Amino acid sequence: MMNSIVLEERKDFILQKQEGCQGSSMRCDANSISGAVSQRACVYCGARVVLNPITDAFHIVHGPIGCASYTWDIRGSLSSGDDLYRNSFSTDLREKDVIFGGEKKLTAAIEEIAKKYHPKLIFVYATCIVGVIGDDVEAVCKSMSAKYKMRVIPVKSPGFSGNKSVGYKMACNAIMELMGPHRPEKKNGVNILGDFNLAGEVWIVKDYLKKIGIPVISTITGDSNYESLINAPAAQLNIVQCAGSSTYLATRMEEEMGIPYIKISFYGIEDTIDSLVRIAEAMKEEAARRKAVEFGEAEKAKLRNFLESYRKNLVGKKAAIYVGGGFKAISLIKQFHSLGMETVVVGTQTGKKEDYEVIESMVNENTVILDDANPAELETFIRDKGADILVGGVKERPLAYKLGIAFCDHNHERKHPLCGFEGVVNFTKEINLSLLSPVWKYIKQEVVV
Amino acid sequence: MKGTLVNLNVNPCKMCMPMGVATAFYGIKKCMTILHGSQGCSTYIRRHMATHYNEPVDIASSSLTEEGTVYGGERSLILGLLNLIKVYEPEVIGVATTCLAETIGEDISRIINKFYEQYPEHKKVTIIPVSSAGYGGTQFEGYSNTLYQIIKSVPMDTRKNGRVNIVTGMLSPADIRYLKEVLESFQIDYILFPDLSENLDGGYHPNYDKLPQKGTDIKDIAQMAGADYTIELTPFVEESISVGTYLQEVYNVPCKKCNPPVGLRDNDYFIQLLSVITKIPVPRALKEKRARLLDAMIDGHKYNSEARAVIYGDPDFVYSSVRMCVENGVVPIVTATGTLCSGFKDMILMEIKDLMDHYFIDRYDILEDVDFQTLEELAKERKANVFIGNSDGRRMAEKLGVDLVRRGFPIHDRVGGQRLRMVGYEGSLTFLDDITNVIIGRKETGFREELLKLYYKPEGTYQAKELGYDELEDSIALTNGKTVESEQKDINSSAIKASENRDRDQDALVHKNTNRNMKEKTIEEKTATHPCFSCGAAHQYARMHLPIAPKCNISCNYCVRKYDCPNESRPGVTTHVLNPMEALHKFLEVKEKVSKLSVIGIAGPGDALANFKETKRTLELIREKDADITFCLSTNGLMLPQYADDLVKLGVSHVTVTMNAIDPTVGAQIYKYVDYMGVKYYGETGAAILLSNQLAGIKMLTEQGIVCKVNIVMLKGINDYHIPDIVKKVKELGGSITNIMPLIPVKGSVFENLPLVSKDELMAMRSNCGETLKQMFHCRQCRADAIGTLGEELSTIKNPSVHIAVATKNGTLVDQHFGQVSELYIYEYKNGASFYKERRPIKKYCDGASECNNNEYKIKAIMEAISDCTAVITMRIGEGPKNQLKQQGIRVFTMYDRVEDCVLQAAALITDGIKNRKKDKEVLYDKA
Repeated sequence: MMNSIVLEERKDFILQKQEGCQGSSMRCDANSISGAVSQRACVYCGARVVLNPITDAFHIVHGPIGCASYTWDIRGSLSSGDDLYRNSFSTDLREKDVIFGGEKKLTAAIEEIAKKYHPKLIFVYATCIVGVIGDDVEAVCKSMSAKYKMRVIPVKSPGFSGNKSVGYKMACNAIMELMGPHRPEKKNGVNILGDFNLAGEVWIVKDYLKKIGIPVISTITGDSNYESLINAPAAQLNIVQCAGSSTYLATRMEEEMGIPYIKISFYGIEDTIDSLVRIAEAMKEEAARRKAVEFGEAEKAKLRNFLESYRKNLVGKKAAIYVGGGFKAISLIKQFHSLGMETVVVGTQTGKKEDYEVIESMVNENTVILDDANPAELETFIRDKGADILVGGVKERPLAYKLGIAFCDHNHERKHPLCGFEGVVNFTKEINLSLLSPVWKYIKQEVVV
Repeated sequence: MKGTLVNLNVNPCKMCMPMGVATAFYGIKKCMTILHGSQGCSTYIRRHMATHYNEPVDIASSSLTEEGTVYGGERSLILGLLNLIKVYEPEVIGVATTCLAETIGEDISRIINKFYEQYPEHKKVTIIPVSSAGYGGTQFEGYSNTLYQIIKSVPMDTRKNGRVNIVTGMLSPADIRYLKEVLESFQIDYILFPDLSENLDGGYHPNYDKLPQKGTDIKDIAQMAGADYTIELTPFVEESISVGTYLQEVYNVPCKKCNPPVGLRDNDYFIQLLSVITKIPVPRALKEKRARLLDAMIDGHKYNSEARAVIYGDPDFVYSSVRMCVENGVVPIVTATGTLCSGFKDMILMEIKDLMDHYFIDRYDILEDVDFQTLEELAKERKANVFIGNSDGRRMAEKLGVDLVRRGFPIHDRVGGQRLRMVGYEGSLTFLDDITNVIIGRKETGFREELLKLYYKPEGTYQAKELGYDELEDSIALTNGKTVESEQKDINSSAIKASENRDRDQDALVHKNTNRNMKEKTIEEKTATHPCFSCGAAHQYARMHLPIAPKCNISCNYCVRKYDCPNESRPGVTTHVLNPMEALHKFLEVKEKVSKLSVIGIAGPGDALANFKETKRTLELIREKDADITFCLSTNGLMLPQYADDLVKLGVSHVTVTMNAIDPTVGAQIYKYVDYMGVKYYGETGAAILLSNQLAGIKMLTEQGIVCKVNIVMLKGINDYHIPDIVKKVKELGGSITNIMPLIPVKGSVFENLPLVSKDELMAMRSNCGETLKQMFHCRQCRADAIGTLGEELSTIKNPSVHIAVATKNGTLVDQHFGQVSELYIYEYKNGASFYKERRPIKKYCDGASECNNNEYKIKAIMEAISDCTAVITMRIGEGPKNQLKQQGIRVFTMYDRVEDCVLQAAALITDGIKNRKKDKEVLYDKA
């Protein structure tokens, strides 16, 4: 089945599901292959994704201008308070700095901010060349922290030091460093990890938890701030939404603070209900469990007619999925399934071995599973498998359109929530309006001139 | 964000070099680009381009890892080239370095040669290296340098071919397509370099080809050396990397450099040039398009002339936009590029200078290496009403409520960025229409409300003006009560917003659409233009203190009552107290002269609220004449709880309370007594009453959205240690700023001999308290009758009162011969204003032949009639009477003008004289 378009080095990263389960022999979690036109970003990107939603922090990108320029306010994380995080601060290193080092510039920048704004929290992202030119970012951060009695936390994120997952890890380390000295008194409640409040999703989840009587201590990092984050160690349980980015943090918090965690997902009706019930169980709250079941069933009932009518439109359609992490891909496969749709191509940028095992067990035979795919592969398999819609990010969108198929934005830039029961409605509507748009009919008409 | 950070780029107005490289290579046929560096660079650039062009953008990366960084990336790059060729089968590959590759010193030319050696079968693929460190420049330099590297790398065919090279900057695909149309209409066999019009704005076809199939063919590029001409349309490309210059110097291809055809002049020039080169007359269709542009320029010119544009982006883009704007009277009030570009500032200045002179605009900015934080500040300061540039300006536009005309790269928040036009007569017309429509749009949506606010007065207040306020006080209160109610609601809602915003480091102006937002804008704007509350405003906006409040109700130990209250005013000079009517006149007079007058303050000489009746009347009278001016008032706070609500109703938006202690035991050392409701309370009792009223009063004000400043007089050994606590309290109460002032000792006061606070001690106290609350660092401790900006006082020298007789027929003009008058109008001039006093009939000086001889008698009669006058103003006067008046010490001015103007002019001459005489005397005394 391997098309000539697939590079030799890439073949191990692609799998077509055969009869029965092979226990996923495909490779993943490796560096991208040179010249393959990977869709992945870099370590800095991963770190920024996780930390960016911290609303009252100064996020300083230490490096030349590009990194700051391309990541300025591109994400849909919402804030109920500060909007400092929507600015892009860069030390804007120049030729001269590369020769003589950028430490002075960084120090001056931090001092200026300290004097003008007295912030509580600054993150300094060290990008590609910082280490190469010999800047000791850690030392600068340390001395500035001490001098101005604020937290200046270095985030080691040179682009070459791995892939996006490494960036997640670096961000998690930074959060651990931030919480490090704080051990607030234990309180009844949970932390939400790995939800970045895209289009207000954290607010939706918090509202559900409130409904079933589970207090939320801290959200990491959607709509969070310095004060809320240092309070996180007070929680009894961590619930992890985006596993790819935040499992590492949950593990460290479990080991170092004794806070257990569970993975949950608020994408899709079943996942949402199961997650609420599981959280109540993990908290050993019988009343909450009862409420979760009741609330879930009630919401599900409300959606029944809605879904049934949409299902008629969508049943039998084929979906291709190419998203950032395994967690999201798995949720999407389930959601498409519940709409009567089949997933024929599924890939992720940073999925883990266990993610691919789950995926393989969920999809039908002949479904193509890819890790770190490139546009050529996506094009080929979307065509070969006859997908009607692609779910992906901004870079994949024009490809879907050029191939004449529908598209669903499932990325950090979207402006409508896709989680919870609200999200099911939005997702279903979006799939429907794109798939059933009249344009597909017209563009495929042969022109008789 | 407030204030700009100098050590950081805040919200970049530029991208990096590899972005420009990738863009340029997208204009080459069957070409792929690989970035030698980390994976992220290519992904970010792809995302940035894909969102703008709405096209798949495939850029490879050598995906350098840690190992590659340490041991060199040769293996990675060679593998990348192989893979790229395998998957895409390109004819050309651009290899661009990134920050990382440059920093670790990768020699990509050598690696490419090695690749050819190892894989001779790939020699047919042209591989072009471009050095493009992200820190070496912006996308603009990256783009230009790529064109230069391509032209140098491609083996040239020097045989003459009669073709014309067209080299362009980063234009939109739609603009490039237009260029091609024009070239074709002149039947030119052109080589367009580069041509990204199809690759980055392709159609939908059943078969998608991932390798860009259109664009400039490498074979055509090879022919550029044999062309007849090069026309280079990038005015700011560095000479050392100019394709046109290179072809001219190396291959003798004559080069004509001109501006991209944007706006009338540059289109005309370009079209003429093509006509001359081809000897083909300008096609009729083009002439029609030109005529249509001219028509549009006329249609829109009055709107365009009201435009104050902020234009930003690449130097070429900005320059072309500025030239078109200037042709149409659109004022480029801020012009900026994110890169460093030699000649940019000078060339822009040359373009805009005349326009600025014509419109009397002396404050505008031209900047390089700019970021959006700076642009936002300047846009606000210069009151820009339209932004022109890429969508990175959207946040600034949203914050300031100014519309953005989107052009350039990138456009991320709208569809069709690749189809936006500015080139050609039609493109310019579309561009211009977009700008004009922003201005029209502002007018159309805003003018009803704006004019209503500016000119409409409720009926009752008109009557009040005619009848005088005494007998109408009740009706004013009634009518005002009505209007005030609705206004108060607005203030309340804005107060909620204001308190929400208080802690935020933002002074964002909110959209103008809803009534509620209107009010928010007003209160925030008022603070921004209040010289005593906003440091930036201190030098730009003027305030005027009206001395209408003589009485005081507390006795401070640093005060002597025969002088002005030192709380807000500089002691030592007694102010002439005005009544409310005089205050109104003074206001009107000053307002005429001082255009930047933004604030009326009541600051003594006693306490504003101890004279509440006068304060209230004065503010009401002024509000009738000026709906916008900010009202500000300072008080000791004793009567605040009683009058706070009234102040809100009166439209007072800023209140200063002097609070020197929050502990009655401290207060008792500062205040001798407090006169509350007719009873004097001494010692701690008095201080406690004052304090509790101050606290309650401030809270009442801040809860209603009033901006409160608290003045604290720093008294060594008395309250200095206590000041940080006061500041904390002020913050708790919702105060916005505190002003810690040094004591200015007054002779005869209890604290006459108190040790002085040094400047260092004062500054230390201020910066210590600055951690709690914003501090005022620019206080000048003004007098109660101060006028002007905080830097320069305009008229604090006391003017004497003089009476002036005016010869006028109807009271409007000085239009009579002195000899013809039967009556004289008597005016009084004081405090910078002229007041009509009365009409004084006199016997005609020359009553006809019979009595003409008796001049002596009549002159004497007149003299008597105007004996209290210092001067006479008349249109003409005979020598005789003139001399006689002079002998009597009455000065004569012959003028023809409006009466009030004449009086003011004459008075100015007279009072100058008086002042000079005083000075002379002083000099004499000195000598004695």
